Amino acid sequence: MPITHVEAQEALRDISRTSRASAKSYGYRHGAPHLFIWGVVWMLGYGLTWLRPQLGATWPVLIVAGSIASIWFGWKSRPAQAKGYDWRYAETALAAFVFIVAIFAVMPPRNGVQAGAFFPILVALLYSLVGIWTRGARMLVAGIVLAALTLGGYFLLRQYFVPWMAVVGGGGLILGGFWLRSV
Amino acid sequence: MEQPDATIHQPVRLKIMAALKALPEREQIEFVRLKSLVGATEGNLGAHLATLEQAGYIDVEKDFDGRKPRTRVRLARAGRRAFEAYVDYLREIVDANGAGERTR
Repeated sequence: MPITHVEAQEALRDISRTSRASAKSYGYRHGAPHLFIWGVVWMLGYGLTWLRPQLGATWPVLIVAGSIASIWFGWKSRPAQAKGYDWRYAETALAAFVFIVAIFAVMPPRNGVQAGAFFPILVALLYSLVGIWTRGARMLVAGIVLAALTLGGYFLLRQYFVPWMAVVGGGGLILGGFWLRSV
Repeated sequence: MEQPDATIHQPVRLKIMAALKALPEREQIEFVRLKSLVGATEGNLGAHLATLEQAGYIDVEKDFDGRKPRTRVRLARAGRRAFEAYVDYLREIVDANGAGERTR
């Protein structure tokens, strides 16, 4: 049962297509819980900032809780052959934290709305970069939509920016998580 | 490899093996997800998985996720080796043809 070179080429193309789809689906499945977590954090954070602005600890508490939940999911869904925790998750979180502190030290935001817009734009950039480098169209779309919604709220709905981000930003991330999981 | 591995050579089984090989080692994939990746019907996929399992190329695990029955599949070590050998075989055919065309 010899194979012709045309059949061999077609089989290699099939292998390549299926491998790419499988790797992408695996990445989406592992990315989805993080979108859920941060969607809930945003919804609660912006929502409480709007409803109870006097609660100063809202964001620090939610960010710590979200980071713990994200690290736990990263550990729980680690590849079967991995031994122990993949410290790249924690190192990534630390690098992001240092970056944000450095940016705010150099260019401090003049008001809460500016700070509130900065984080979603940063997250949108990260999703877009992951989408571009992994050829994951859904991640790229999630990044573009998140950036567009944030900028739309910032420039067009300034006085409703905080509740806008609670509903659209937080809700968008949660819906994005469902969308990724459906692949 | 003089002849292609007949177990892997079948198009649906080739896609199953490619989908499993793309995962990290020893990682499992759920039946439903594999079905959508391979584009096969439930019965068809089940039959091909049984063939691959008999050959020792994959491990199939059936359990319950809460009350829902769940089937998960992963590539066995023998399957990984066989798939790599099959891909090498395909590449040799393509390369040999390319070399032949260049010398003409």
